[in-house]
Amino acid sequence: MSFEFYKPSNIKEASELLKNPGYVAVVGGTDTIVKVKGGFYKALKALVDLNGLFSKEIKVEGDKCIIGSACVMNNIAHNPVIVENFPALAEAALSVAAEQIRNVATIGGNVGNSSPVGDTIPALYSLEAEVNIVGGEEKRTVPINEFITGVGRNVLQPGEMIESFAIPMRKTKGAFQKLGERKALSISKINLGLSYWNDGKPHYRIGMGAVAITVLRVTKAEEFLEAAPHPLSDETIQQAAQYAIETAKPITDIRSTKEYRKQMAGVLLKRALNAIKN
Amino acid sequence: MNTDEKRISIQFNLNGHDVKTEVLPGMTVLEMIRRNFKLTATKEGCGKGECGACSILFNGLPINSCLKLAATLTPSDKIVTVEGLADDELMQRIQKAYVDEGAVQCGFCIPGMTISTYSLLKKNPKPTMDEIKYALAGNICRCTGYRKIEAAVAKAAERGEK
Repeated sequence: MSFEFYKPSNIKEASELLKNPGYVAVVGGTDTIVKVKGGFYKALKALVDLNGLFSKEIKVEGDKCIIGSACVMNNIAHNPVIVENFPALAEAALSVAAEQIRNVATIGGNVGNSSPVGDTIPALYSLEAEVNIVGGEEKRTVPINEFITGVGRNVLQPGEMIESFAIPMRKTKGAFQKLGERKALSISKINLGLSYWNDGKPHYRIGMGAVAITVLRVTKAEEFLEAAPHPLSDETIQQAAQYAIETAKPITDIRSTKEYRKQMAGVLLKRALNAIKN
Repeated sequence: MNTDEKRISIQFNLNGHDVKTEVLPGMTVLEMIRRNFKLTATKEGCGKGECGACSILFNGLPINSCLKLAATLTPSDKIVTVEGLADDELMQRIQKAYVDEGAVQCGFCIPGMTISTYSLLKKNPKPTMDEIKYALAGNICRCTGYRKIEAAVAKAAERGEK
């Protein structure tokens, strides 16, 4: 394990460092350090410490809620703005790993890792979040559903980092559901974030993880639910669950089988819809 | 680990004292407190953040010290290990309750268990059983099962009310 360690004093310096091949960013380190120890980074040359460079805060700016990329899971889970307006995200953050991890694992890391099972990602899909990216002096914004491009892959170019997330400010109802071997510390076999809001007409957004190489939106169920009579009947919920099953394109791996995951896509959507019913 | 690697000087607060030390790029906080400071209460179990044997308080909150790089520490960071709580009234009450309930067998997980317990009771002096289980979900014990540990946490809380 021979590599260098850099602690850049500003974002520009960090960006220059991260343009070098084999230079890996670290903030919370709860995934990165496990990967370093396990030899996952074949050509690791240096770790670049981004602690202190990005905001850990959650604040409302105009019509958006801005979550700094260094914000840790426990702060998201207990933040009044998030709990009140974006329950799907609060529940997702609270479900991650265990207390010791939630105190250091950042939302920027969870999304930046771009795992198909990252727990905050389906919730962010359901809330139509945007990813604010910074690289040196340039900035750009990408919708969350265009950010992740494959397993562990995303649109970040060498030298680019996630600065923050922007969620449209509106009061939503929502739920996050997942299945794992146990409640704490298991990586999800499948997870699902649901958000609902009503601005004169009902809106449903459903993000589903671990059923494809990236998180999927279950648009067929969303459109069906939006057109259905409210309150939703059991039959309507059942039909929406069927659309979730049809949308899921999972694989069999060490954590679960594709048949189980497909069935559970329907179960999780049903549970999430029932959870927000009142 | 290669000894001719670049050493990094760091400063931080350890158990109430401002300290300085030198670490290697890949060294975790766990390795540093055990090797550089000879504080060996904190244990390495899985080394992956799943077992909680390495739990410490970082700026007042429990974290897995096996996943935190020592080089990322800054002078404003405060680390507290079980040794740093030896004279703390709450930690002593917790330790006594663990002993009284027979919650300690091999003892390897106990420093981490008591750190998680301490953190819980500090912010929630009267937790429900569900809250106890939730707070200790990041700590694994392979000897006793968990009933005696949960009972010890409940007893420590109960004794604190008097």
